[in-house]
Amino acid sequence: MTNTPHSDPHAPLGTSEGDVAELIDDNRAVLPPESGVFGRGVNHLGTIFAIGFLCSMAALIFEICMRHIFDAPTIWAHETTTFLCGMGFVFAGLFCASRNQHIRVVIIYDMVGPKARRILNIVISLICALSTGFFSFAAWLMVKKAAFAPTGGIRLETSGSAWNPPFPAILKIFMLVIMVALTVQFLILAYNYFRQKPDLSASEAPARR
Amino acid sequence: ADYEWKFQSSDNSGTPTFEIDQEWTKRVEEMTNGRIKIELLPVGSIVEHAETQDAIAAGILDGHITDVSYFSGKDPAFSLIANPIGAWADPQQMFRFINYGGGKELMNKLEEPYGLHFIGAITPGLEAFVSSVPLNGVADLKGLKVRAPEGMVQEVFAAAGAAPVNIPQSEVYTSLDKKVIDAADATVYATNSAMGLNDIAKHPVYPGFHSMPLVEVSMNKEKWDALPKDLQEILTVSVRDLSQDLVARLQMKDREAVAKDQAKGDIQITNWSDEERAKFRAIAMKQWQKVAERSDNAKEVYETLTKYLKAQGLLK
Amino acid sequence: MLHLQSLGIEYGTLAMFVMLIGFLLTGMPLAFVTLLVALIFTLGWFDNIMAVSLITSRVYSFVSSFVFVSVPMFVLMAALLDRSGIARDLFEAMRLFGGRLKGGVAVQTIFVAVILAAMSGIIGGEIVLLGMIALPQMLRQGYDKNLAIGVVCAGGSLGTMVPPSIVLIIYGLTANVSIGDLFTSAFIPGFMLAGFYVAYVLFRCYFGDNVAPPPRTEHIPTEEKLRLLKGLFLPILVVICVLGSIYGGIASVTEASAVGVAGVIASTMLRGEFSLSMLKGAAMQTLSTCGMIVWIGIGASALVGVFNLMGGIKFVSGMITGISDDPTVVILVMMLILFILGMFLDWVGIALLTMPIFVPIVKQLGFDPVWFGVVFAMNMQVSFLSPPFGPAAFYLKSVAPPDITLGTIFKSLVPFICLQVLAVALLIIFPGITGR
Ligand code: NA
Ligand code: NA
Repeated sequence: MTNTPHSDPHAPLGTSEGDVAELIDDNRAVLPPESGVFGRGVNHLGTIFAIGFLCSMAALIFEICMRHIFDAPTIWAHETTTFLCGMGFVFAGLFCASRNQHIRVVIIYDMVGPKARRILNIVISLICALSTGFFSFAAWLMVKKAAFAPTGGIRLETSGSAWNPPFPAILKIFMLVIMVALTVQFLILAYNYFRQKPDLSASEAPARR
Repeated sequence: ADYEWKFQSSDNSGTPTFEIDQEWTKRVEEMTNGRIKIELLPVGSIVEHAETQDAIAAGILDGHITDVSYFSGKDPAFSLIANPIGAWADPQQMFRFINYGGGKELMNKLEEPYGLHFIGAITPGLEAFVSSVPLNGVADLKGLKVRAPEGMVQEVFAAAGAAPVNIPQSEVYTSLDKKVIDAADATVYATNSAMGLNDIAKHPVYPGFHSMPLVEVSMNKEKWDALPKDLQEILTVSVRDLSQDLVARLQMKDREAVAKDQAKGDIQITNWSDEERAKFRAIAMKQWQKVAERSDNAKEVYETLTKYLKAQGLLK
Repeated sequence: MLHLQSLGIEYGTLAMFVMLIGFLLTGMPLAFVTLLVALIFTLGWFDNIMAVSLITSRVYSFVSSFVFVSVPMFVLMAALLDRSGIARDLFEAMRLFGGRLKGGVAVQTIFVAVILAAMSGIIGGEIVLLGMIALPQMLRQGYDKNLAIGVVCAGGSLGTMVPPSIVLIIYGLTANVSIGDLFTSAFIPGFMLAGFYVAYVLFRCYFGDNVAPPPRTEHIPTEEKLRLLKGLFLPILVVICVLGSIYGGIASVTEASAVGVAGVIASTMLRGEFSLSMLKGAAMQTLSTCGMIVWIGIGASALVGVFNLMGGIKFVSGMITGISDDPTVVILVMMLILFILGMFLDWVGIALLTMPIFVPIVKQLGFDPVWFGVVFAMNMQVSFLSPPFGPAAFYLKSVAPPDITLGTIFKSLVPFICLQVLAVALLIIFPGITGR
């Protein structure tokens, strides 16, 4: 609890305010081994998009100052903020998948034994991989419209504003990349759950949620 | 019905425009003796407003009734033809350009590569300007914090000395109310008034000087091409009728709303002089040329448009 | 293909709900459950494989929407408050202020929730904030777990009832009625609901055993009081900055959430607690929390698009037309439909689905559309909490300690849902509460 200097050292576990922060601060503790090297890579890249949120905040504060103090609103701040947050939101889905952090209903999952749980893990990962595979195809259909002109040449779709950045095209391409990455991640998860010995899986992959 | 279609509108379901457009779908059903049945869906119900073009091409939607400006990001030509600010003093001038001045052919040249067929143009008419400070002319635009949507509107306001602020429609009301912005490009007077915009920004400019959007009625090209001639003709003529129906009825509603607001006493409706309107127009037209340089299609729009305006004596 | 279309929209809707619950129970991540059901129905209902791009199109529109920028801002605020000592000092000071009132801190948390509601137009961020700050503090002070959870989720959902409110703005745009009138009319019902929560909390604390810690009765020396009061100073300053920037016309509602973050960063600097590693840790937590809650929204948004394309709007319209000549019955049926939809869909979807049908009928029956807007917003309060798809519960879960399960959260919300239903009923029986 290095970051919570005022926290009570005798507070019961699971109730102290530092507890949640601690869980999430220590990246390695959250990242399950089943995510593999790929998951570790995703986890490292997270920093970039986390900083993106801080930059969004800074851009908005800059915009408020320019507009209110200097009567000169920027043409880029709102679009940049929306873009950075959008990239962050999309990436965060992959980030949470690698960390096995997505919210689940674990009523049945917690009731069954380690064997059934291993099978559930494999099947769920495969179904998720299948659907993100379809979404990769769907995202490709979208990218075809956003990144290429009808004549076939490369033409990045822009926002159409006075500033007119190619954010729509970039975000759509990024969505394609993330959907493919999600498919890969779910396949890796399925493979690693499959390799696990059934009696180990219960202790190694506890249901976090 | 032989053809059951879903069209998405760029308007919200409770607005007069949406209701009048919906009557058009009923008329089409009757005129075709039930062969064509169109379900008109409000904005955002299937896809977001800027995504309908792709959705029609993919066969998800069959058609749309939408502001052409939303596709400015695909080709600057859409931005120029959608709202050549300063070109139109009256909806009829635009309709004549579209129907007889080469506009329709141009629209189809732009839309067909995207898999759409342009059936016809409609418009809500000259939009009224919402402002919380008195505006009597171009000089008053200096430093004005104005919310404007994507498309040419933003650039023209910037060129006129205003400071365009890029906030979404959902925050226009609160931002105007708290004076984060001074003015907003919203829509026609009656709708602005119904939403309460004139109660918080008490210096509207009516008739507006700034914007008259081209709203297209378009549909999937393959589905259009597969239609028998009589149905194609019914659709074309009925859209031409819709354009008159919409403009007439919205203008009546505008006048009613103006009379009502004037009776309230605290709302100051301003009308710009012809001189000030001409000044704004001159600024806007310099932006046309800039947009024209951004793509070959945009250049063609510019040439067709200026040729028409000159021939009609609307441009020297 | 699957030929789901032969089910018809009635059984199709039923199949959709059954499938949602079925996949949910397997333990599949919630965000992917809704996305998967959306995918199955896109492929099975339409014989056009290109239709899958509908889902990615909705995902794109969802993540590129400016109003959601306030979500990471509120989460950042929460993560920073949590990592510094500000949150703890604030609640210690609140406990002092609560004085001899049993349940004082819970009541004050509801007040804090109302203040947060005035700072934001959507929900999500506030629940995460209260979940990270207020929940652990209330648990630490000895409050009943269920009561604390309920206060956080129900209080944190008030954001759409207290102006500014995106629910009311969207309703106003859809129904073509004055947004100002909607804000004015929602004000008192919003406070009424908060009042119900306070009354319930006090009732539980005074008549239940071990629900709240005993009030502080020991004498506190003046220096200690002053030290504790200092804990209030910075948080109040941040609140003044945010509300001041909204109501002083300096920032738009979404921008104001960034002002809040800057204020909290400045506060940690003033307290000498600021460090780059703390800032990075907070940003990383924002990323993971956003991943959890935004992707739930993404899935819900995709599902609504598919349901509308299947003919959802016509289906709802069929349920309501010709149901009765009695206006009261019609309104009650509408409430029932809103309640059931609220179990499965998020509010944007419900608004898209029902408003085109309900508003014209409400006007036709001679009811005031502004009043109905307030009733709608109150209904959405219920939808935030009601299982199985209760966004407020998911938002809290994204930051709650692992031992607090979704089951516990939903169980804790039952009394609060009852209070919300009571508020809806009162608005219908006494429309005068809205001042109309
Ligand atoms: Na609010
Ligand atoms: Na719900």
